[in-house]
Amino acid sequence: MTAATQTTRYPIDGWRLVLRRLARQRNVLIGGAIVLFVVFVAVIGPSLMMHSPEETDLFNPWSPPTAQNPLGTDKLGRDILSRLVYGARVSLLVAGAVLAITLTVAAILGMIAGYMGGRIDAFLMRFVDIMLAFPEVVIAILIASMIGSGVLTVIISLALVWWPGVTRLTRSFVLVIREELYIDAAIVAGTPTWAIFLRHLLPNIAAPLLVRASVGVGFIVMAEATLSFLGLGIQEPVPSWGGMIRDGLPALRTDPYLAIFGSLALGITIIGFNLLGDGLRDALDPKLQGR
Amino acid sequence: MLRFVAWRLAGLVPVLGIVLVATFLATYALPGDPVLVMLSDHSSNVEMANRLRAEYGLDQPLWKQFFNYIAGVAVGDFGMSYRYVRIPVVEVLSDGIKISPILALAALAAAASIGVGAGILAAIKRNSGIDTAIILILVAGLSIPNFAFATFFVYLFSIKLGALPVAGWGRIDQAILPVAILAIPSAAYIARLTRTFMLEVLGQDYIRTARAKGLAERVVIARHALRNILVPLLTSMGIIFGGLISGTFVVETIFNIPGLGRLAIDSVFARDYPVAMAIVMLFTAFFVLINLAVDVAYAIIDPRIRQRMGVK
Repeated sequence: MTAATQTTRYPIDGWRLVLRRLARQRNVLIGGAIVLFVVFVAVIGPSLMMHSPEETDLFNPWSPPTAQNPLGTDKLGRDILSRLVYGARVSLLVAGAVLAITLTVAAILGMIAGYMGGRIDAFLMRFVDIMLAFPEVVIAILIASMIGSGVLTVIISLALVWWPGVTRLTRSFVLVIREELYIDAAIVAGTPTWAIFLRHLLPNIAAPLLVRASVGVGFIVMAEATLSFLGLGIQEPVPSWGGMIRDGLPALRTDPYLAIFGSLALGITIIGFNLLGDGLRDALDPKLQGR
Repeated sequence: MLRFVAWRLAGLVPVLGIVLVATFLATYALPGDPVLVMLSDHSSNVEMANRLRAEYGLDQPLWKQFFNYIAGVAVGDFGMSYRYVRIPVVEVLSDGIKISPILALAALAAAASIGVGAGILAAIKRNSGIDTAIILILVAGLSIPNFAFATFFVYLFSIKLGALPVAGWGRIDQAILPVAILAIPSAAYIARLTRTFMLEVLGQDYIRTARAKGLAERVVIARHALRNILVPLLTSMGIIFGGLISGTFVVETIFNIPGLGRLAIDSVFARDYPVAMAIVMLFTAFFVLINLAVDVAYAIIDPRIRQRMGVK
């Protein structure tokens, strides 16, 4: 081996490898572009709109697309484009909140289950097995009966549905890391368990956990829209894509714009998140390489 | 085997216990007086209010109400509805309970046949145009929520083409759109699983052996490969049923079908909590039992699983 090849930093540079793998994935590029656009719209969009999303114009209900209202208006004469753009912000905020709560709970419980093992692990995983894939609408009905419909109901319900899967994922990462020498070294050195959790386990599971959890964002957006569609979620006058589609469906025969544009925005956004998520998982999971 | 089933059944007790407490709290311990909801504009009639309160057991201490609730649920008595005053919840549910299972099972049958078929086709024609097309449809099927699909389908088939009714329940043509829309996400999910498992199985030695014996490709797929993907598919039944249950709420709402899902949503808005909570209990019990059945079936089919789960 010559000195020249030694100085060339080759594949082990993690991020460059990941980026190169990602760029080769067409799905990641398409999904990433859609997600970037939606995020851009959610952040910048509302300030660019001509109308406020809650501004009603009772003399101009169910307008078809015009120069004034590029995508038409709803039954109260509210601008559909403004509501769609603002709805993107609402969707992403809810998804972010659910993700934050889920990750926190799952990181703690997953570390406990994976590191402690034994009965605690068995009990937690048994519970996770049963809760996994529990229908979110059923939980939302329960929560809505207690505290009424609204953003809080959506966030609580979706967090309750999502934590089991992420907890199991965390546990599987911890099971691998627990066997590492540096954990043994920490134990021998007398490091308290909480410090092992905080300094040795958490930093090592954080990155893969974040990436894998982000795969679920599309489904969280979909679940939020479903609950809002059923009337259990985001309440009027705050715009939500699910609520807009619900309002638009009965008028589909005469004024289809609301339901159709709402469905398109929602569908394309979730496709974007899912393409990006699947691609990320494929690119970062070495076990799936070459499949 | 019996011990395995018993162990799994025991695991359900805490879950059902939590649901029982949660549904009770949601029904009985809420702020606001349900009797006033029932009386609506006769709320000043104290005598009537007291009589109703006694009939619903709302005059008893909370612990006694909880005890009565559990004793009732144990024998299938969910109390009386708040909206339909003095009508037992079981009676309110009687129509819906005949509709939702039919809807879900029809969708499951459609999803399973289409999903497995499409998945096998994609796997056999791997990396071809057909495979790519199927994958694209799968991404759409898994990503687009069923009420968004409903928008496009109703607009196209019912309004533009006038081929199918917009809503209702009872005739075959009224069932086509709801069943199709309920089936789409599950079909896409099953197809994706089938394709993945099929690709794995087709690389196995016993498939090469079967081909080397000179068996027709059709027989290799149907007899040797298909059988081996049924087991992993079976384990996903819990997730598939979870999706179908959520889907019935949406589809019944869109198409105005008087099933349990729509009834539950309506009941929440009408503050008829006993009815809503009974439906929550029913769906939970159903979901949990399906998962139990899957576990048991899995253990019966595959002895290795039984061992891993620690059953002697």
